[in-house]
Amino acid sequence: MICSDLIKEFMEKGRSNSCPVIDMHQHMGPFQGIYFPNPSPEDMIRTMNRCGVKMGVFCSHAALIDPEANIEMAQVVKRYPDRFRAYWCINPNYPERIPKEINQFSKMEGFVGFKFLSDYHKYPITSPRYKPALEYAEDHELLVLMHTWGRSPYDSPALVEKLAEKYRHVTFLMGHSGYGEWERSIQVARDYPNVYLELTAAYAVNGVIEWMVKEAGSEKILFGTDLPWFDPHYGIGCVLFSRITDEDRHNILHRNAERLLQPFL
Amino acid sequence: MIKPIRYAETARDLLEEMDFYGIDEAVVFHSKQRDDSPVVGNKILMNEIEGIERLHGTLAILPPQTGELGSLENLVETMRAKNIRAFRAFPAEHKYLMTKTALGSLYELMIERNIPLFISVNESCGGISGWYLIEKILSDAPDLTLIVTEHGSWGHDRFFRPLIEKYENLYLDISRYELDGGIRDFCDKYGAEKLLFGTGFPKWNPGGPILMLAQADITRKEREMIASGNLQRILGRVKL
Repeated sequence: MICSDLIKEFMEKGRSNSCPVIDMHQHMGPFQGIYFPNPSPEDMIRTMNRCGVKMGVFCSHAALIDPEANIEMAQVVKRYPDRFRAYWCINPNYPERIPKEINQFSKMEGFVGFKFLSDYHKYPITSPRYKPALEYAEDHELLVLMHTWGRSPYDSPALVEKLAEKYRHVTFLMGHSGYGEWERSIQVARDYPNVYLELTAAYAVNGVIEWMVKEAGSEKILFGTDLPWFDPHYGIGCVLFSRITDEDRHNILHRNAERLLQPFL
Repeated sequence: MIKPIRYAETARDLLEEMDFYGIDEAVVFHSKQRDDSPVVGNKILMNEIEGIERLHGTLAILPPQTGELGSLENLVETMRAKNIRAFRAFPAEHKYLMTKTALGSLYELMIERNIPLFISVNESCGGISGWYLIEKILSDAPDLTLIVTEHGSWGHDRFFRPLIEKYENLYLDISRYELDGGIRDFCDKYGAEKLLFGTGFPKWNPGGPILMLAQADITRKEREMIASGNLQRILGRVKL
């Protein structure tokens, strides 16, 4: 078997003291199309402890559907300030509410930025409906996690590039790394300092992590799991067993996220 | 048809990949069994793995009515000669119905000889229609040993749990069973007998299921059953 101190440690203990994981793409609570054994914040913390995940940044499933639910996430962060931060979901189907939401957001603690779920909300990330949130994020140097999917009319890597060009002070996390359109996603992450590849689900594609590291660099890759969807050990295993160095694994599993989250801790 | 980013060109390359991940043995098919005709692909597979004890081949099936794979007797003879102990179905790619009308005689052969049938609900028939197909196969042939692979990561428990409760010869591989807490939850309710370790290589990254199973919150005995024991039991009872 491939030899690496990190692999040995994770295989034996399930976690690593030298490599605490940060999960930049989480959700919370039940959802329509899936049975979750572990959907609550406490369930998620138990999973995170088992897998050596020291912090998760989440957007609850409720907030993906209903803008009113955004506020509830602040309570979870307040209860577990050492374990969670949150993304405020911007739903372009309720444009009249967005200015009020940004005002609410500005007065709250525990959020690192916004979440866009354009493939589901059916508005492209370049829609004017996202503009108030993007301008606020630009002014305050926030993170924006976007669900991105290859060749999507709503959130393809080509559309991410347009935003990255325009909003240079926003850090864009390409959720799922523009799944399937790998070459283009990697190019956007390589060319724009404010764009990162986020690995949820993408990690399962054999060889894609090596490709990303080679072309974009491990400094531009973030770890995520969609928890409570996916067992973090699955994603961590994909990173560990890729043909990359332990330094790359540290960058992906925690160092890059530590750097991005530092202003919000 | 889509070329994987990383793959094994030959059986020897595959063994090297397995060594990298610490995998001792594997049930395999050749991509040409799926992407080319099974008539061509089955022969390529058998030639490729000949004499390699770590690789257990599976033959792609077709409806016997077209006679493309020879008679059922010849098929069994070939399997005996080449030590092949499982079949695999690609109904979408090879365009046939998985009904008793089309495959009844093959189902009878598989049941009589305890030959398992592998089918991917990801590749051949994903999502809800795939699980309708699985139920159709099992309602037509409830004694068939059916191994469903790559069932997808986006929430399939509501599809497969009713089938697991009803059909005792249904098995699932864990290559994409990524659900957090899924393996433990499944084992608590149904035991570990129905789960088999799988990776989906070369399409999927084997590191995922390896660490997930190594650290699943289950007993050592359950882990060993999923890692190898269940599959060894299934293949061990095949009568050729």
